[in-house]
Amino acid sequence: MFTKTPDLPIASMEELFELSAFLHKEARLLDEERFEEWLEMLHEEIHYWMPGIENRRRENPLKEGFYDKDHMAYFDDRMRDLQRRVARFRQPSAWAENPATRNVHIISNVEAFIAPEADTYMVCSTFTSIRSRGLDEEYVIYGRRYDRIQRTEGGLKLLKRLILIPNATLSCKNINTFL
Amino acid sequence: MSNIIKTLDVTDALPNLKKVCNLDEGRISGEIFYSQEIYEQELEKVFARCWLFVAHESQLVKTGDYITTTMGEDEVIVVRQKNGSIKVFLNACPHRGNKVCFSESGSTRGFICNYHGWSFDTAGNLVGQHESGIYEASEFDKSKWGLKEVAQVDSYKGLVFATFDPEAPSLKEYLGPMTWYLDALFDNQEGGTEFVGGCIRSTYECNWKIAAENFVGDILHAGWTHDSAARAMLGGAVAKVSDFPESYSVNWNGHGYEFALDTVGNVAVLGESKLNRYVHTIKPSVAERLGEFRSNMIASVSSATIFPNFSFLPGQNTVRVWQPRGPNKIELFTWVVVNKSAPEEIKEMWRKGAMMTFSPTGVFEMDDGENWEYCTKTAKGKVTAKQDLFVGLGMDTLLEETPLPGNVYEGQLNEANSRAFYQYWFDLLNAKSWTEVPNRNKGKAEAE
Repeated sequence: MFTKTPDLPIASMEELFELSAFLHKEARLLDEERFEEWLEMLHEEIHYWMPGIENRRRENPLKEGFYDKDHMAYFDDRMRDLQRRVARFRQPSAWAENPATRNVHIISNVEAFIAPEADTYMVCSTFTSIRSRGLDEEYVIYGRRYDRIQRTEGGLKLLKRLILIPNATLSCKNINTFL
Repeated sequence: MSNIIKTLDVTDALPNLKKVCNLDEGRISGEIFYSQEIYEQELEKVFARCWLFVAHESQLVKTGDYITTTMGEDEVIVVRQKNGSIKVFLNACPHRGNKVCFSESGSTRGFICNYHGWSFDTAGNLVGQHESGIYEASEFDKSKWGLKEVAQVDSYKGLVFATFDPEAPSLKEYLGPMTWYLDALFDNQEGGTEFVGGCIRSTYECNWKIAAENFVGDILHAGWTHDSAARAMLGGAVAKVSDFPESYSVNWNGHGYEFALDTVGNVAVLGESKLNRYVHTIKPSVAERLGEFRSNMIASVSSATIFPNFSFLPGQNTVRVWQPRGPNKIELFTWVVVNKSAPEEIKEMWRKGAMMTFSPTGVFEMDDGENWEYCTKTAKGKVTAKQDLFVGLGMDTLLEETPLPGNVYEGQLNEANSRAFYQYWFDLLNAKSWTEVPNRNKGKAEAE
């Protein structure tokens, strides 16, 4: 969609199965508000990045085309930042989380490649995040993800995630979930 | 031949407008957040007349640099001219009205309409068309058909404002003494400020006034609404505003700034000790530049709105415009402002910190959106919309004897700014022209 994926060797069928299962589990933990277990799936050096998308002419691109690492973002987080976000969800005074937001994360188009870094995969996927609040609010966000997932002593860990949505204007008031 | 936009003929005031608010009695009604009829009046009497924020000068560095935005619901292009000035044009081709610029920012030598190939230079002049020969045969006068130019453009300390109305008072007169307070954020260091790259846009199903009023003078909500975010970021509750020994609410022409003098209360919620240290480090030089008083405001517990829809938070350094999109919808445009002279590391921390706190993913903003949407949506009920809403805190708190400029009220836990905001809105909706807008300012027009 935006970033030209580098040509990398394709992971084995077994590895693809394992990585897909990792992403599906992650989605389920988020839907079940098991945020602490979700944090456990992340590498301690996690870079979780969702840049703002800018509507620019083709002859006037930013460094990455429609986004730029020095520009504004939705998420540009490290572990401490993600832990703080989880901490807000857990406060009894997070008024806008009670009644709860009901989440469904759908993950598809999973492709797995062998990344140049040791013990690391580059995994591409698409997502649909559906949230409902109150009686009738519904918000759908979809996009592409480019992940680096590393095999560590503690199992597979998400090391890097780049989240790209097609929208230059977010069609809802917030993103009170992880994508 | 001038292509400058003329003052619009405005329609008569709504006959029942008097019922929707009475600020002397400290009440408004939910109707003002939901009525389509009132909204139509706002577009012509507020957004087509007032000075509106359109850009920061740092977004338009070189000749031909442009951004597109909206003034009310009108699409405009803001572009740097060869002589260094800034012009604002309607982003609509004078042939059939199609948009001539579809990107949000960039650098260009001109704008070409996709429909019939009308081509304009950055000064808005029509310089050519597809099949130009047939226009010549019709004795077409190109000079009459340039891009329609917004009547007045001016800037204050890097903030570029524009008004459609040639009869509007000057920006200086419009802002009045609020500029003295704006300096605390926008001119506290040599070189002034710049915007971080990019703009985050999101959509709220709320009325624009409820958001603008939140920033004009509602710190009261912070301790309650934002308790969860404060605990997440700081591990404790928000500072208790009523404990501050000295704080103020100041307004002028519907603009408002509420602030404490605690220097770092706002920046502290970003949870980055280096940012707190930066503020303390520059404070002596701010005191030298702006005086001791305003050096206490750099990043203190504070917020502000320039009427009608330009708001910011010193300390979190979020700057935003609440773009009206119907009575019950807004698009929120947000930017991050930093001192040009700040170290890169500090700028980067503010970029991330503003996102982490006040943005669609910000842990503070998440609880605001819910409130603003339902303040708006409940007024869908005809009966609910007609009931009084209380806006009467701090009725008798005007400070008569103060060296501070503007209409100065004691304490920031005070609805004086909110009342002044709605009063100015109400006055504009009742005024056929600027001369009919009553002067309700009571304080000093300039700092002593």
